[in-house]
Formats: sequence, C-alpha cells, structure tokens
Amino acid sequence: MNKQQAVEKGGDALIQKKICLLGASSVGKTSLVKQFVEGIFSEKYLTTIGVKIDRKTLSIANEQINLLLWDMEGNDSYNVFQEKYLRGAAGYIIVVDQTRTSSLLEGIDIHTLARQVTDCPAILAINKSDLLATWHLDDSEYEAYQDLFDLQFLTSAKTGNNVEQMFSSLAELLLKREKNDLTT
Amino acid sequence: MTSLLNTALNALEQVVLEVTDAKSGTVKLLEGGSPWASDLFPQASAQQAFTINDDTPFLLDFLIDANTIWQQQDNAKLHSGLWTEITTNNTVLHLEAIAIKHEKRNILVISNQLENFKIQQQTKQLAREVLLSYDRLFLKNEYLHTRLLSILNQPSDQSNVLSTLAKVIENAEFAVLIASKDFTTSIENSAALSLFKHNDILKAQSARPIDILISLMKNQLPEYERILSTGSSWDGELCWILPPSTLKWLKIGLYPVKNKNNQVESWIIFANDISTIKHLTQRNELLAMQDMLTELPNRFAFWQTLEEHIATKQPFYLLYVDINDFRRHNEFYGHNEGDKLLVEISRRIRRMIKTTDFIARVGGDEFAIILSGVDSKVTCELAIKRIIESINKPFQTKKSELFSINVSIGVANYPNDAQSVEELMKFVDLSAYNGKKNKKNSVQFYSKSMKDASHDLIKIERELRQAIVNNEFELYLQPIIDVKTNCINKAEALIRWNHPEKGLIGPDDFIAIAEKSGLIIAMGEWVISRSCQIAKAINQLGYEIKISMNLSPSQVTDDNLFSHLRRCINDNKLNPGLLELEVTEGVLVDDYSVAEKLLSKVRMIGMSVSVDDFGTGYSSLSYLKKLPLDFLKIDRSFIKEIVTDDNDKAIVRAVIAMAHNLNLCVTAEGVETKEQLTFLVNNSCNSVQGYMLSRPIKFDHFITLLNEQKAIS
Repeated sequence: MNKQQAVEKGGDALIQKKICLLGASSVGKTSLVKQFVEGIFSEKYLTTIGVKIDRKTLSIANEQINLLLWDMEGNDSYNVFQEKYLRGAAGYIIVVDQTRTSSLLEGIDIHTLARQVTDCPAILAINKSDLLATWHLDDSEYEAYQDLFDLQFLTSAKTGNNVEQMFSSLAELLLKREKNDLTT
Repeated sequence: MTSLLNTALNALEQVVLEVTDAKSGTVKLLEGGSPWASDLFPQASAQQAFTINDDTPFLLDFLIDANTIWQQQDNAKLHSGLWTEITTNNTVLHLEAIAIKHEKRNILVISNQLENFKIQQQTKQLAREVLLSYDRLFLKNEYLHTRLLSILNQPSDQSNVLSTLAKVIENAEFAVLIASKDFTTSIENSAALSLFKHNDILKAQSARPIDILISLMKNQLPEYERILSTGSSWDGELCWILPPSTLKWLKIGLYPVKNKNNQVESWIIFANDISTIKHLTQRNELLAMQDMLTELPNRFAFWQTLEEHIATKQPFYLLYVDINDFRRHNEFYGHNEGDKLLVEISRRIRRMIKTTDFIARVGGDEFAIILSGVDSKVTCELAIKRIIESINKPFQTKKSELFSINVSIGVANYPNDAQSVEELMKFVDLSAYNGKKNKKNSVQFYSKSMKDASHDLIKIERELRQAIVNNEFELYLQPIIDVKTNCINKAEALIRWNHPEKGLIGPDDFIAIAEKSGLIIAMGEWVISRSCQIAKAINQLGYEIKISMNLSPSQVTDDNLFSHLRRCINDNKLNPGLLELEVTEGVLVDDYSVAEKLLSKVRMIGMSVSVDDFGTGYSSLSYLKKLPLDFLKIDRSFIKEIVTDDNDKAIVRAVIAMAHNLNLCVTAEGVETKEQLTFLVNNSCNSVQGYMLSRPIKFDHFITLLNEQKAIS
C-alpha cells in the first residue's frame, strides 16, 4: 500500500501523511509533538527509545489531513541515524536546540544523510526559543542553513511559540504538492 | 499442548502470527492472546486472517523489510527495533516485531518489550543527561577560555586588563581563577570562593581556592610536574575530599597564558562542580567506569586496572598514546569531527591489541594501553608497529574529506622502569611528551637518559629565553657573489649564540629546540630587526647589498610576522629591496596557501624571496610555477660532488635551466673549490656562496671585505 496516497476512512476522504522528526538527542522532538498533539509541555526530560508514533488531524482549507508523526530517538553516540525510517515520509523536520551549537551541526549532518534517500520537504525547527541562544551564527551562516530547507521556524515547545504554525505550514505545503501531483 | 504454549507465550508477552500473504500483509494469529494483543489488533480473532494496516504504521512499514526475509528460501530472522504504539484504547505499548523464515514458513512475532524498554530508557536517559551536561560545560568553558585569552593577549595597561577580566569572570557560572606563573591568585570570582568554601568550623581560616587546587593536582596528577615545567595545558577530573562533610568532583581546566618568548606569564584555571553528574553516572556502574564518547574504560577504570596488574607482579608494558596537534584538528574541522576521530582511533587501536590487553581513554586526546604479560621489548615494538600502521591509514570526515594524523607513544615497562602506578604514568607521559611536538609518529621508550635529556632540553630552553632577554645573539654575514660582476651583492644573515659559559654556539645546536619550544618566533623577530639595522648600516656606507634572512616553518604561519617586518622596515627607513626572505621547500609544500599569501605580500612591498636548500625536500615543481619566487638556492649536497659525479652535474644543469625558464635566478651554496666554481660559472649559475669565497663573518669584517672589494675595483 502506498501510504502517501489518500485513504478512505469512515466515508470521509482523509489525506494521511507521514512526518518524521529527526535530530540530536535532547533537542525537544518529543516535546514539540506533545505540544502540538496534546497542547502540554513537561519540564522533565524523558528520552525517547526507538520510534513513537502520534497522530493529529488538521483541517486546512476545508480539507482534512491526518499527520502521522514519527518521533525518532535522538541521534548521538548511543543511537545512529537510520535512513530506513524515512521510507514513505511526506516530509521531515530537523529539530535543533539553539542553546547547543553541536545540535545544529548534528542536524545538518542528518539532513545531508536524509537527502540521499528522499527529496521530500524538509523543515528546520530551531527549538528552545524561550531560552537565550548560545550559538554565535552570523547572518551569512543563517542564510546558508536556511537555503538547505524548505521552511524554517524558531520554535518553543515550552511556550508553544510557532509549534502549531510549523506543523500547519508543513501540512499546507504537503497539500499543495499533493494537488500539484494530481493535476500533473 | 496448545494451551501450555499459549500460557508460555502470554508469560513471555508475545504473540505469534503466521503470514498468509506477505505482499498484502495478511496474517493469522497462531498463538498468544494477551489483552494487549487484542488492543493492538482488534480486528484479529482466532485463526481468522486479517490485514496489517496503517492503524499500526510502524509495523506496516516493517513488513517491507520483512518481505525480503519471507521471500527467500533460507531460514532467517529480522528484528524491527523498538517502537511505541498508542492503541485505539489509548493503551501505550512498547513493542518489537521479529520476522522469521523457518522451514519455509513465514512467521511474525510481536513482543511486548515493556521491561526492556524501561531498562533501555533508564540507561540512555542517564547517559544522555550526562552527555548533555558535559556538552554544556564544554561549550561554556571553551567560550570563556577564548575570551579570556583574547583579553590577556591584548597589549594594554595592566589595571585596565585586570578590571576587564574581573568583569568577565564574575559573570561566569563556574569557578574561574587567574593566577601568576607561581600560582599567586590575581583574580578569582565569587563562584570560586563559594565552590571551595567548606564547613570546617575548626579552622579559623579556610584555605584559598588556588591552594586547594594545587594540592589536589599535586596528589592526584602524575603529570603535574611535567605540565608545570613545560607550560602545558590540562583538563580532567579531580576529587576533593575533606572529611567530615566535603566530597566534590571537580572538572578542572588549567591553561597557560604565554608571552612572546613562550614563557608562562599566568594561568587560567576553571573549576566546575560535576558532583551531580558524577552522582548520576555512579548510579550506573558501567557509566562510572566508562568514557562516554569512545565507550572505552575511563581514567579511573584505568587506574584501578593498572593497580590490579601491578598487584599480580607479572611484567607488562604500558603505552601512552597521545594524538599530535589534536587541538588544531578540532579547531580546523570542529569538535564533532574531533569526537568522531577519537571514536575511530579507539576502534582502530582496539582492533590491534589482544583481548587480554587493556585500553582506556585517560585524557582528552590520550589513550593508555596495558600490554598484559609482555616482557620483551621486541614483542612490545611489534604491538606498537601494528597500532601505528592502523593509525597511519587515512581518516575521513563526515563530508568525506581525507586527512591523516600522527601520534606520540610513550612506553614504560613494569617492573624495570617503575613499580608504582604514579611513577609508571609519570614516565610514559614524559616519554610521549618528548615526541609530542614532532610532526611525525614517534615512539619513545622510557630511559634514564631520556629523562636526563628532557631535563637538558628544559635547561637549554630556559637559557635560550635568557639569551633573548640578555641579547646574547649575533648575526654573522656570509657573502654571496654575483658571478657576472664577481662582486658581493648579497649576504645571508646567520644567527650565532654567544653563550656566557659555553662560548659561540652554531644554529644547529639550538634552532631545533627554539622551533620546538616556540621561542623561534621571538628569535626570528630579533633576526628581522637586526637584519634591517644591518642592511641600513651597510646602505648608509654607500653599498647596495641585499640581506637575506631565513624563515622557519613557525614564522611562516605566524600572523604577526608581516606586520613586524613592515614595522622594522619603517623604523629603519629602509628600502625593502635590500631585504630577502629564504624559505625551505618543506615550508612551501606543507603550508602552501599560508606561504603563498605571505610571500606575495613581501614581494609586493619590494622584497625578494628565495627557496633555500633546493633539491633536498619535495622538489615539487608545481609550486615553483605558482609561488611568487625570485631565487633558487641549490643545496650544498649537489655542489659537493659536482666535479666528479655525473648525476650531480646533470641535476645542477637541469635545475639551472629550469629555473631560468621560470625566470628565477640560481644561487649555488657550499662552493668550496675552484673547480666547482668554474663548473657553475660555465653553466650560467647566477651567484655563488661558500667557504671558498668567505665563511660567515662578523659585521665589521664584512664591511672590511666590502671596502677591500671597492678598493680593488
């Protein structure tokens, strides 16, 4: 079955899309999903093991889109990035923590690896915007990173800043691509 | 039987499904029927086939990989890895699937992994919290270290520097101390005072933070003396115990601040309280004894193992592997690549040693290895050879750039060289340090003579420093004769050391030490200043003589060299056309881009450039075309046999022809006989230099020579 295709459910035409959240460990991938799906944030850090899948249906321009959110265990010396989990993904979000430069570099590396297996839309989520950024990037570096992604958001899973917007924008982008695919 | 199997599977929290149609993902429940399985597959009922659909998206995706197993003939197994599923009843399940091909049957086992999940989560949670803490600590330290160094290296008045430093360090979240070279505290922040505050009411006055730190380092750091005597930096962990109530784990960073003469002027010391992180790691025995990055045993595990080995009284060799220029590598490629390199090196070394040997990461870029039961030097050398060969193979960055590294290995034998943990560590550390600044791989077996030589080296370094301050150096000039005019048109400036006790010392006996210790920068600056004065003085006597100065590899990469050169030229109101820089081939090839920039700038202001010792190094002709050069100096080794050796004749003729084609002039070095001179003149060599014409002479003598030449002409 092709999961990127729209599926029929309960009589309503429902478009279902797989979105992967990728990044170094402890950047806030799970917190972003929790904020988006349940609207809550917990200060306590609880590491993800393997993959956790959540769902949320969005209504965009009278269309229902069901997002399957694949929240992946963060990558570090205990867990290497596995491209296979991107199979069938309609888009992916690289999450980085703006208080740790190393998470940005790790994120860019994951993005490079991901690009070898898919050309689906990619978003850069610069998370923890409620904290003071401790990386020192100049404008040209920012632009260079921006160019690598389809969209970029400064998010805070804690305050909810830009979280809904990020997922909605991605959903819109996917719908637009879906329509373009259908018309062509 | 089936009921018993069911009970067993339920106890194991597993369900077994037979795959009836692999393509569509149709399965049939064979055995097992826990409530969680019904939650996961509400559509399943006994012996009724059902299709795995996107209600379980992870499993659906896994079927694609599973199909590769099921479609083959041979028995095989594939694990999906852990995933978390929230069922329609909102039950949270932590699962793993196993695809099995067994005796032509396609089986899918789903296993509820709650316990395994919890264990994994606990371990990784802990490990990641520690990783995160270290990551943050490292970033903060690195940032402040860079800032402090830039302030301390700024030339400004002392009181201003101290007040700026005080402001910067007061805001640091960890203890920061700036101390003089003899460890008298200049500034300490509040965090330092509170970190080292203890509740000892019996003592009227608590010890100063610096005193506590020094005593900890002296007692817990075998490398302490070496660090101080060589002005090296160190970072690592120390434990501060002060009964009855104080036990703190400290992460210490000790960094020297050096002046131009490479002398330590002050120390920057960072101390972070990592007791909480230690507490976290100690909750897990593995983490407490393991280096997080390389997963090798850490310094403490190593210490323990070394003690155990000594207790057995069986002989062994101890190796200390230190990566040369690791800091430079980190700065160039970034810390992530540095970490990657450490992991790769640890893997390579581990593959090269026996399972009975022991390897640990004992410092930032240092590994220690115990070659158990090895008592023969030959066997030890073989093991080292294997290690070096594995490290010699190129490494790769994440962006697939290839690079290579070198290591310094210090070696000591138990019981011949030392019998205690502290002494063994001290000796291997010293042995490794002796080869450290060598750009090549080096292996140093500990010996008494090496220890003495190391002391001698430190002594010469100290004397050299003094020599710079006392102005004990002198420039001798060796005339270079223009073949066409038969007159002196240039002189090479050669340094000599008027040692107060040993008399005149030639450069061969001290340049290498100056290069190794970094003193060459200050010495080179003196040579430039003095050469400019000499060139000006000669010019004022009415002679147009160029003074040629030798540049060492470190000077070529010194950012301040060009500005110093300009300043000396301006101070002496000297025509830059009267100066020339000599660089060796090695410098040009090793630091091509840096050399190219510097040489272009010096030529732009009117100086000339020559390549020294041509023919002895890489002799890469490509750089001759690309680099801004004026002269090639053919090395004396080719000139020596030029009259009798046909090969040397051919080489020298070829070099002259090639140089002329590239519009370069040629100087022959080491001309000692008339026959040599005739050959060179007949083959259009442009200028000559050597004992036959004149040895290097003092300035006054040189002037006399010029005057005599003028009188004759």
